[in-house]
Amino acid sequence: MEANGFDPRLTQVLTQLEAIAGQMDRLVEQQKKQQELIDDLLLPVSKEVMASATARLDALEKKGYFAFGRELVKIGSRIVETYSTEDVRQLGEAVTSILDTVRALTQPEVLSVAGEMSGVLAQADTTKPLGLVGMVRATRDGDVQRGMAVMMELLKRVGKGAGALADKQGRSGTQKEKLAAALGPRKKNLGIERPAPKQLPAPACAAPAKPAPATTVIDGISFTADGHLADSAQWTKTLAETLSATQGVTLTDAHWVVIDFARKDFAETKASPNIRRITQGAGVSTKDLYSLFPKAPGRTIAKIAGLPKPAGCL
Amino acid sequence: MANIAEQPRKVAIICSHGGLDEAYPALILANAARQADIEAFVFFTFWGLDVVTEEKVDHLHVNMVGNASSPMPTMLMGLPGMEAFAGKKMTKQMAEIDLPGPREMLKILDESGAKLYACELAMRMFKREKKDLVPEVAEVITAGDFYDMAEGAQIIFT
Repeated sequence: MEANGFDPRLTQVLTQLEAIAGQMDRLVEQQKKQQELIDDLLLPVSKEVMASATARLDALEKKGYFAFGRELVKIGSRIVETYSTEDVRQLGEAVTSILDTVRALTQPEVLSVAGEMSGVLAQADTTKPLGLVGMVRATRDGDVQRGMAVMMELLKRVGKGAGALADKQGRSGTQKEKLAAALGPRKKNLGIERPAPKQLPAPACAAPAKPAPATTVIDGISFTADGHLADSAQWTKTLAETLSATQGVTLTDAHWVVIDFARKDFAETKASPNIRRITQGAGVSTKDLYSLFPKAPGRTIAKIAGLPKPAGCL
Repeated sequence: MANIAEQPRKVAIICSHGGLDEAYPALILANAARQADIEAFVFFTFWGLDVVTEEKVDHLHVNMVGNASSPMPTMLMGLPGMEAFAGKKMTKQMAEIDLPGPREMLKILDESGAKLYACELAMRMFKREKKDLVPEVAEVITAGDFYDMAEGAQIIFT
């Protein structure tokens, strides 16, 4: 080595370089191989995989999985929007009881009863209508009796549950109030109470007075056969004074209150007011009315006020 | 009114039943008489006494049993409480057409100058006293008194 005049360290470097070159070659070779591998093997494989995956996804899409999934996501977001975490927590607490209920409902016995019931409903078109007597007769059947007992028990539970719910929602009250709330406004008690009508209703049994034929004409004013003014438009206050004299009545302010009311009421209802209507409308007692117009007050008032004879019994 | 007779017209009405439907004819007739300037008095006897008895006048019933005009079968009308129910229903219908109740009718009669009397014998039979009756009753009289008072009157029995 020395004779060649080369530095031995240089030789070392060369050797190492050679070794490195060899490694490089191998590396390159490997690289090539890898590239080839990728080219020859991986790419087609991955293409294959991708294609097949795509095809599968496509199939799933066709089957509607994704639409379903999208809807699920929508539902999820809707749930999140609608319910608070508190609600969800409560749901979690209730899960056991829900499951219990479901388990109880799916017991074979219960299911068979439900099946029976739906069977009955399916045959509903063949069942005969049942009247009151038929119902009473049906209660003699032992099964019907048991069924009724079960229904009663069911009703009781439902009622209890409803009551508890009402309490929970702060609508608690007396039994009566609860009932009233459930049934809606009750009809007023039938009976003796006679609510004072704020506004006078239409006359009790007054038929529209038939215009009696005018028979007598005095000073251009026509009167009917029973002594009433034929046309109430011909009435004047002066005429009232004259008419009252023929009835043996001297008009005072108290009389005028009554007469004015009678005129006003006639104008509104087109019927002569009877005594009851006058006492209610003019605020005069029956007793006072009889002392103001002692003889047949109803008719006398109508005569003086220039109105037809009052109809009706009161 | 035209003068039919010299003396004023007069009616004597005997009310012998205590049903709501049986009391009204007597009360209405008496009231109509007063409105037509006819003197009127009503004699309440037997069950009719209920109409002027303080505790009963507001609770007069209607007995539909045997009433051919009843809207319900007679069999049903015999059920307990039916006459009270019918009475209330009738009271309601009367209130609807603004017909005064029995007590108010008695007051109107009294104010219009009709006289109301109770039968002495019936009072003893039902063990009632004058203080048990409504204040509108003027007097407790006997059947003989009735005839004295009814002299010259038309008599109506209801």
